[in-house]
Amino acid sequence: MNCNPISRALPRAKLSSSPVNSLQASTICRRHESSYRRTQKRLRVKPDPSFTNTTTHQDHIIFNPPSSAPSVYHTPLKFLPKGDRRRDLYTSASSPSSSSHTTTQQQQQQQSTPTPSARLPPALKSPTEKKYHLTESDIASMRELRAADPRQWTRVRLAQRFECSEFFVSLCCHAPEIKSEREQQLEDIKRRWGRRKTEARQDRQRRKESWGRDE
Amino acid sequence: MKRLRLDRWGAQFLPPQYQVPRPRVLCPYQQASHDHRIQHSTRFYRSTPAIRDTPDYEDSIDLATPLEQLPSPPPKLASSSAKLAALHARLSLPSKLPLHTLARCLVDASADPSPDFNNSSLAILGSEILGYHTSEYLLCHYPRLPMTVLFAAQYAYVGPKALRSMTLEWGVEVAAEPGGEVDPGLLQLKRLRPEEAVIQAGETGRPNQQWAYRRGTSSRIVYDDQFGDLKKDATTASGNAMVVGSSTAQGPGATDEEASKNFVRALVGAVYLHAGRAAAKRFFEQHFLSRQLELSKLFDFKHAPRDLSRLCAREGFESPVARLISETGRLSRHPVFVVGVYSGNDKLGEGAGASLDEARIRAAAAALKGWYLYSPIDAMVPSDVEGGDKEKKKWEPAMIDIGEIIT
Repeated sequence: MNCNPISRALPRAKLSSSPVNSLQASTICRRHESSYRRTQKRLRVKPDPSFTNTTTHQDHIIFNPPSSAPSVYHTPLKFLPKGDRRRDLYTSASSPSSSSHTTTQQQQQQQSTPTPSARLPPALKSPTEKKYHLTESDIASMRELRAADPRQWTRVRLAQRFECSEFFVSLCCHAPEIKSEREQQLEDIKRRWGRRKTEARQDRQRRKESWGRDE
Repeated sequence: MKRLRLDRWGAQFLPPQYQVPRPRVLCPYQQASHDHRIQHSTRFYRSTPAIRDTPDYEDSIDLATPLEQLPSPPPKLASSSAKLAALHARLSLPSKLPLHTLARCLVDASADPSPDFNNSSLAILGSEILGYHTSEYLLCHYPRLPMTVLFAAQYAYVGPKALRSMTLEWGVEVAAEPGGEVDPGLLQLKRLRPEEAVIQAGETGRPNQQWAYRRGTSSRIVYDDQFGDLKKDATTASGNAMVVGSSTAQGPGATDEEASKNFVRALVGAVYLHAGRAAAKRFFEQHFLSRQLELSKLFDFKHAPRDLSRLCAREGFESPVARLISETGRLSRHPVFVVGVYSGNDKLGEGAGASLDEARIRAAAAALKGWYLYSPIDAMVPSDVEGGDKEKKKWEPAMIDIGEIIT
């Protein structure tokens, strides 16, 4: 079994016709027959099912578009108004009676048929239920704390204490007296940045703005 | 309601009934168009018999003044211009449109301040026709477009830049300097000198203009022009009218873009007046609507996920949830995530990006575009059923959306 890799490396060495290469290949390349076979097997991609001739001895249309983002001009079923005829077309296309094997129609089925949520892909964030547990007195005490010592009772600490989001804290109370101080601190930090860091941050900001433009 | 006889208004580009003082030459149209035997325009002559009985203005004045002293080429030269005939054929204009009117469309107000010989009146009419057809197409075919996108789309279809590029595509060249001896097939304009190019912060038409005012979208609808821009044309048009009164004074110059814009608009107005409403609409569809515009590129969302959740709350859908459809190379330098935004079990949009946040925001923007770019299947525009013809299809009311998301 040990001689196999050398014999496999030999044809390459013959092509390159240099003794150094063959030596390197024999020392570095440790590919076994088993791994080679597995790699080849993995690289052997099956043709798309739409290419297989399901109908016998008849001409048929192959519809196998390249994978791409769906067009924004195709209004999703949920966004169609009540009287639109496409509602009926979509629902009839997604009904199991008209079963077809093309991939896009299968995707449409996945979109439009009511599937259990277990079949849906995983959510990015775990969905959080809103608690609505804070009362008027809680909010009043939150405001008191924030007004008494805004440096001690920051938004993060108040959010942890009252078990709400920082955004909700910002809705309830704000501390304008430390706002300029914080901005000054941030400016000091930014002034210490060099050219590369500043430009990288600006570029990142620019890229973020381009997300909404879909560029 | 009494019907407006717009075709009667066409009498203004034929010889005036009253005597308008022309600074150097008087070239009435009727002689030239009479030679062409334009049948439909004989109706206009009936209203202007007096000027035909007057002795020949043309011969006497043409003999007296050389062509170089005229501000623009005289109309009778139009029939002998090869460029004009070629342009007429290239644009496949209706045969009812005479070459003389086409020549008049090419004379900008900066070249010839006399409103009897320049294209300003035709341009005003053509601007209204272009604006009407574009807006009815956009509103009926994309009833959910936000107002700012509507303005941008209108600008892209019939804005000055689009009309300038159309003039170039049509092969209309600009004369170096206007004058009577220039070929009438060239666009005649007096160029703006550098010292004249001052943008005046002029009237906006708003009531409380002297105080700090906000040009919000609503006020842009009411006070501004069809593109949501400040009305510059109105002030310059009134300025030209002032110049016309003093016949010797020359108006300010114009840029190539302004002159091309006025030419295309005047041409549409001329087609409308000579060949009728249907021909003008056909001309619009062939030359303007045939241009491809990517409406989905006009959007710019600042807070796409927030807008989408507001939309779902407004329409009574389940709140949108971003879900990871597929990913590759999470630990590599170039990962790709494909995220879909779902409302309940329905996918609203899909986006791909190099980070989870990017893919999520792109997916929300795609979902919003899916909402805004909805188009009814058989959308009709009001001008489809205009005219009261019996064989035309029945009007079906256009869809009207309740409006965009405002956060």
